[in-house]
Amino acid sequence: MPGDSSAARMQSGIKVYGQNHTEVWALDSVSVQFERGKFTAIMGPSGSGKSTLLHCTAGLDNLTSGQVWIGKTELGSLNDKDLTLLRREQVGFIFQTFNLIPTLTAKENIILPISIARKNPDLEWFEKVVETIGLKDRLHHRPSELSGGQQQRVAAARALVSKPQIIFADEPSGNLDSHSGAELLDFLRRAVDEFGQTIVMVTHDSSAASRADKIMFLDDGRLVGEMPDPTIEDVLDRLKQYGN
Amino acid sequence: MIRVTLKGILAHKLRLALTALSVMIGVAFISGTFIFTDTIDRTFSDLFDNAFSGQDVIVQSETEFNVGFQGPPPFDQSLLDTVLAVPGVAAAEGRAGGFAIIYNKDGDAIVPMGPPTLGSSLSIDDHLLGAAELRAGRAPKGLGEVAIDARTAKDNQLDVGDQIQIQTVTGVSYYQLVGIIGFGATDNLAGATFAGFDLESAQKLFALEGRLSSIQVLAEEGIGSRTLRDRIALAVPEGIEAVTASDEAADQAEALSENLGFIQIVLLVFGAISVFVASFIIQNTFRIIVRQRQRELALLRSIGATGIQVVLMVIAEATVIGIISSAIGIGLGFGFASLITFVMTLGGFELPATTAPLAMRTVLIGGLTGIAVTVLSAIFPALRASRIPPVAALRDVDVRLKRSERARTMLGVISLVAGTAIVLSGLFTNVEVGPINELIAVGIGATIVFLAVSLLSTNIVKPLISLLVLPLLRLDPVAARLASQNSIRQPRRTATTASALMVGLALVATFFVLGDSIKATTGRAIEQSLRADYLVSVDGFGGGFSPLLSEELDASDEIAATTSLRFGFWDLDGSEELLVGIEAETVEATIFLDVKHGSLSDLAAGGVFVHEKTADRSGWKVGTSIPMGFSTTGLQQVEIVGIYGEQNIVQSAFLVGLDFYKENFQGFGTDADVTVAVKAVDGVPAEKSRAVVEKAAINYSNARVRDQAESREYQESRIDIVLGIFNALLALAVLIALFGITNTLSLSVFERTREIGLLRAVGMNRRKVRRMIRWESIMVAALGALLGISIGIFFGVAITAALSRFGITAISIPLTQILSLLIVGVIVGLIAAVIPARRASRLNVLEAISYE
Ligand SMILES: Nc1ncnc2c1ncn2[C@@H]1O[C@H](COP(=O)(O)OP(=O)(O)O)[C@@H](O)[C@H]1O
Ligand SMILES: [Mg+2]
Repeated sequence: MPGDSSAARMQSGIKVYGQNHTEVWALDSVSVQFERGKFTAIMGPSGSGKSTLLHCTAGLDNLTSGQVWIGKTELGSLNDKDLTLLRREQVGFIFQTFNLIPTLTAKENIILPISIARKNPDLEWFEKVVETIGLKDRLHHRPSELSGGQQQRVAAARALVSKPQIIFADEPSGNLDSHSGAELLDFLRRAVDEFGQTIVMVTHDSSAASRADKIMFLDDGRLVGEMPDPTIEDVLDRLKQYGN
Repeated sequence: MIRVTLKGILAHKLRLALTALSVMIGVAFISGTFIFTDTIDRTFSDLFDNAFSGQDVIVQSETEFNVGFQGPPPFDQSLLDTVLAVPGVAAAEGRAGGFAIIYNKDGDAIVPMGPPTLGSSLSIDDHLLGAAELRAGRAPKGLGEVAIDARTAKDNQLDVGDQIQIQTVTGVSYYQLVGIIGFGATDNLAGATFAGFDLESAQKLFALEGRLSSIQVLAEEGIGSRTLRDRIALAVPEGIEAVTASDEAADQAEALSENLGFIQIVLLVFGAISVFVASFIIQNTFRIIVRQRQRELALLRSIGATGIQVVLMVIAEATVIGIISSAIGIGLGFGFASLITFVMTLGGFELPATTAPLAMRTVLIGGLTGIAVTVLSAIFPALRASRIPPVAALRDVDVRLKRSERARTMLGVISLVAGTAIVLSGLFTNVEVGPINELIAVGIGATIVFLAVSLLSTNIVKPLISLLVLPLLRLDPVAARLASQNSIRQPRRTATTASALMVGLALVATFFVLGDSIKATTGRAIEQSLRADYLVSVDGFGGGFSPLLSEELDASDEIAATTSLRFGFWDLDGSEELLVGIEAETVEATIFLDVKHGSLSDLAAGGVFVHEKTADRSGWKVGTSIPMGFSTTGLQQVEIVGIYGEQNIVQSAFLVGLDFYKENFQGFGTDADVTVAVKAVDGVPAEKSRAVVEKAAINYSNARVRDQAESREYQESRIDIVLGIFNALLALAVLIALFGITNTLSLSVFERTREIGLLRAVGMNRRKVRRMIRWESIMVAALGALLGISIGIFFGVAITAALSRFGITAISIPLTQILSLLIVGVIVGLIAAVIPARRASRLNVLEAISYE
C-alpha cells in the first residue's frame, strides 16, 4: 500500500447532494492521496467540488459512497465521537471566513483545540508558531480588532498548534488583499518546509497555487489533472488551456 | 471551554439581563414568600413571648385542639383560690375576656380585616400583665372605664379623656377612655384591637359573672415554671390544665401561623406559575442563542469539540445565568416580602417593617428552583446544539435540524390527552397516590396541558397568524405582511413565546369563569332560598355582634321572625370542619333549607343536619351517629337527624341547633351572632321594616343590613376582591411573558440585522421598520391570548363543573371580561415591541448589510 507515504487518501469518493431531479454529483468517483510533508493545492472552477472534496477528506462531512483514510484510519468506520477525536488530534482547518470565536482573544483562539482537549499547551511550540506568524504583539486582541490577514494567520496558527497530521485550508486567502495573501502563503510554505507539516489548500489564485508542491485540478466533481512542482507560468498556461 | 462560555455570556449582556429577569421574578416571588412567612412566624412568636412575658404558668380549660383566637371556655372563679393555695405561687390573678368592638368618634365600629377585636381584664400585678404596659393615662377601674391599644387610639385619634362606645356580648355602651396600652415594641397584638377593663367589669361585660377565662400565675423566686406547672396540675380538677407560659406562647404563635398558612400556599402557587412561565422564555432564549451561534458551535465541533462538550457549554451558560439570577432574585425577595407586609399592614395587621433574616431553607429552595428551571429549560436547546454538524461552520446554509414534526405532534397529542385526563380525574374523583392529592393532580395535569398546547401550537402558528394578519393587511400591507412572515418563519419559537403569555392569561380566564359561575350560583341561591327580607351580618372574616340585636328585632311588631347563625370549627376524625349553629325554631320562615329527610324540630332538640352531598359521599343516613370533636366539650357521638340540600346561604355542610351550639362552643367570639336573617311581617312596607332593622342595628355598627339585592351585590363584590388579588398575582406572570416577547423579538431583530439593513437600503423607512416589529409582536401576543382564553374557558368550566358537589351549580362565562383579555394581549404586544422596534429602526443601514 502506498498509504504509508500519504497523510490522507480518498478512494472512489462519491458525494451526491439532494434527491432525484435536484440531484447534484459534487464528487463523481474521486480517488486522490495527499502526500505526507507536502503542500498540495486544489484548483478548479467554482462548483467543481473542491470544498466538498476537502470536507469529506477532513471528516467534516460524509461521502455518499467511497472511502477516506486519514493516516491509517478509515473514517467510515468511526462514530461521531471518534471522528471528533480524530479531527481534534489529527486534523487542522483554515476556512475562508469565520475562523475565530469572536469573543475570545487571538491567543485563546489559537490554543482553543488544546483547551477543548483539556491538555496543556506545549509552550515552546506555541512560542515558535506565534513567532513564525509574527503576531506576538497581537495575542491579546479580539478578532474584530485584527485585520483580515491577521485573522487568517491566527487561524493558521490555531491549525498548526496541535501538530496535526494534516491541515486543510479552503481558500484561506480568498478574502485577503494580495499582500496579506502572500504573507499567509509564506507562512504556510514555511510550515511545510520548516516543520514538515502536510497541507492541502483549495485556491483560485494561481500565484498561491504555484507555491504548492503539487496542484490537483478538479472539474465537475472529477479529478482532471495533476501538476507537480508548478511554476506560476505553468499554472496560467494550464488555466488558459482549459478556458477558465 | 468554560472560558468560551463565560465570554459568550459577557458579550451579550442584554440577552443575559432579559433572560435573568424572568428567572429573577419567579425566584423573588418564591423566596419573598418564605421571607414573609418567616417574618410572620417571628412576629407571632415575639408577640406571644411578649404577651406572656413575666408570667410563669397559665391555668385554663383544657381544649381538644387549638382554635387560635377563639380561646378556651371559661371556668368557675373559685379555682383561683385553689391555685393561690399551691405552694410556690407568688401571685395569681384571674382574667376574663371576650369580644369587644371599639367604635370611632363617628360611631363606626373599628373592625380590622382578619385580626380579632379582643377584650380582656387587665391584671393588676405588673408581672402578670405580660408585655402590656400603660403608655399613657392609668389603668381602668370600675364599670365605665377602659384602656385601649395604642394603634387603635392613634389611627382613630382617640385620647385619654375621650368618651368612646364599645360593643360586647352584653351590648353597646359608653366608656371613659383612661389609658393607652402598648405591647413591648409594638402598638397592638398582630393587628387586633384591644380593650382592657378591670376584672369585675370585664366579667360583667362579657357575661362571665363568677367565671374566669384564665388564671395567670407568677412563681416564687427559685421555683421553676415547670415545677410549678406540675404542682398546679395536681391541684386543679379535671378539665382544667396548667401550662407554662412559654409553652402557651409557642402554642398560640403556632396556631396563628397555621391560620395564615394558606397565604403561604397561595403565594407559592403563584410563584410556581411565574417560574413555569419563565421556563418558556429561557427555553426560547437558548433556542435562539444556539441558532445564532450555529457557526461558532460548528467551528468548535470542527476543531474537535465533542457533542457532549457543546451540550455542557450551553448548560454551563444556563447554570451561570441561573445562579446569577437566583442570587439577585433572592435579594429581591426581601423587597417582595416587604411589599406583602405593606399590603397586610393596609389590611390592619401590625407587622414589623424589618423582614426576617434569610433562612437557609429560603436560599436553598429559591436558589435551586431558579437554577433548576434555567438548566432544565436549556436542555433541549443544548441537545439541539450538539446536533449541529461541523459543516455548518463552512457553508452559509440554513441548517434545519428538524426533529420529526410528526413526532412532535404525536407527543403533543398524547400529552394533551394525558394532561386533560389528569386534570379531569383530579377534579372529579378522589385521587390519593402517595403525596398526590386532587389539588396537586390538577396542578400537574394543567402543567402538562400547557406544555402540550405549546408543542401543538407550533402546528397552528401558520394558519392562525395568516388569519390574524388579514385585518392588518388592509391597514398596513407591507409591514404587516413582512411581520406575519417573520413570525411564521420560526414557528416553534413563535409558539413558545406565545405560550408564555398563554399560561398567565389562561389562568386569569379560568378565574373569570369560576368567579362568574360562583356569582351566578349565589345570585340564584339568594333568589331561591332566601325567604328573609334582610340579612344582618358582619363584614370581613371574624367577629360578630351581640345577640341583643336579634332580641330587639324579635320584640318588634313589624318583624315576623329572625334566625341567628354562628360559625364554629370542629374535628371530624382529624380533619377540621365547619359547622353552622342555626336557630332551628325560626329557620323555616327565613331560609329555605330544602330538607330532604328529618325535621327541623329534631334539629332544635339536638343532633346534626348534614348536607345531602356530604351524606351521600360518606354513606350517612338519618340515624347514623358521627364523631364530632369540639375544642371545649371534646369528642361526642352525634346523631344525624336530617339531610338538607341548601348550602349557598348557610355555607356549610353541617348544621346544628343554636342550643347545641352554645353548649359545645364557648370562648371568644362564639357568643356573638355572625348573621341574622330577618323576615318582616307580611304587608309591612319595605321602607318601614327596613327602618326598624336599621334602627336595631344602629348601635352595632359592624353589623350591615342588606336586602336581597344588596346581599347579592355584596357577595359579588367579595368574589371580585378575591379575583382581583389573584389577577394581581397573575399580572406578574403576564409581565414575565411580556419580557419574553421583548427578548425573543430583540434576538430576532439581531438575527435579522442584515435583512433589516437590506429593507432599509431598498427604501423602507424607520417608521415602517418599527411598525413591522410592532405588528409581529402584537400578532404573537394575540396568538398567546387566543390560546390562553381557549384553555382558560375549558379549565374554568371543568373546575366549575367539579365544584357542583360544593354547591356551585351554575356555569357562566363572562364574555366581556374574557374578551378584554384579548385587548390585554394586544397591549402586552405593543409594550413588548417598544425596545426591539426602536433597535431595529435605528440600525445603521451600511453597517447592517456588511454586518458579520
Ligand atoms: N449542502 C449542499 N446541498 C446541495 N448542493 C450542494 C451543497 N453543498 C454544495 N453543493 C453543490 O455541490 C457542488 C460542489 O460544491 P462545492 O464543493 O462547494 O464547490 P466548490 O468549492 O468547488 O466551489 C456545487 O454544485 C454545489 O452547488
Ligand atoms: Mg468552495
